[in-house]
Amino acid sequence: MSREELAARQAALLDTLLTGAPPPPGFAPERLRVEADVLLAKRRRLMAYLRPGLAESLGERFAPLFDAYAAAHPKTDTIRAREYADAFAAWVAGREPAKRRRWFRS
Amino acid sequence: MVDRLGVGIGWRAELDLSIARLPGVDWVEVVAENLHAPHLPESLLALRRRGMPVLPHAVSLSLGGAEPLDTHRVEHLAELARALDAPLASDHVCFVRAGGLDSGHLMPLPRTREALDVLVANVRLAQSIVDLPLALENIAAVLEWPENTLSEEQFLTELTERTGCLLIIDVANLYANARNVGTDPAAFLDGIPWERLAYVHMAGGIERDGVYHDTHAHPVPPEVLDLLAELRRRTDPPGVLLERDDDYPTDTELATELAALRATVTA
Repeated sequence: MSREELAARQAALLDTLLTGAPPPPGFAPERLRVEADVLLAKRRRLMAYLRPGLAESLGERFAPLFDAYAAAHPKTDTIRAREYADAFAAWVAGREPAKRRRWFRS
Repeated sequence: MVDRLGVGIGWRAELDLSIARLPGVDWVEVVAENLHAPHLPESLLALRRRGMPVLPHAVSLSLGGAEPLDTHRVEHLAELARALDAPLASDHVCFVRAGGLDSGHLMPLPRTREALDVLVANVRLAQSIVDLPLALENIAAVLEWPENTLSEEQFLTELTERTGCLLIIDVANLYANARNVGTDPAAFLDGIPWERLAYVHMAGGIERDGVYHDTHAHPVPPEVLDLLAELRRRTDPPGVLLERDDDYPTDTELATELAALRATVTA
């Protein structure tokens, strides 16, 4: 395996684990699921650590909302952790215009 | 060859006051990415003034990544090591980023000659930048590459032979790998070149749904202490470090865990 092929294999593995792309050949599917869950849980804990107020205000909705965001917007290697947290907060705010409008009117 | 460090603990901002007053802390390790040399926390500088060694430990170099090494991250580690006057710097045997994605975690490498060649080339480049002994740590894996042809101890041994790097052996990660991917702990401990050992990591974890998770948020399980005792039969480790990253316990509980580590390696 050349360095280029190894790079492609590593990229395919992360694509599967972080975006749910079809699994690269040879890996045990249930192990890929376990690893994907480990990565998501770690990212979720970091988000709650960086934005404790947001996690608290979302309550039980924090985890499913974050998981949906992370699957659609996996963290890239060019965005800093705090910028990623800001982007998630903006995404959450943008999803809830009705609630925000009621709040502004009252 | 390696300085004696004794018993240490992973420095975290949440633990800084505890660490300052805990008995039996000979040294600390800091996560390199969380600190910046020009703005070190006062509580950490106070430990340095007391003469306590502070060793930087990186988590993001991605030394096993097949893409070009991000030398800015290595320079950050080197700058921090200089600011702390550290005897060595470290990271892990893993990759973190690939294809533009950031896993946010330590990912296992395929244990093949080709992957080892990539790791060796990156480690040599990192060594030239850090200009201090570089130590690399075994990680906890929940999956294995189908390409694997070398055992983990073979892979680590060849890495040290080809680069001259030191090793951090994480006993909790060894335990996790024995549970999760079938690593043979005795074969691992028999195959490690102990003269290359910088120090040992210890941490707690928990089993969920048949998988052992190396959480660093639970007490060190007795099975991991037993493995440390097995390691001690093969070598007298220059240092042992407790890692606790979440669900921080009382000072008394931390002191008890540190004392258990010291008792296990003081034979």
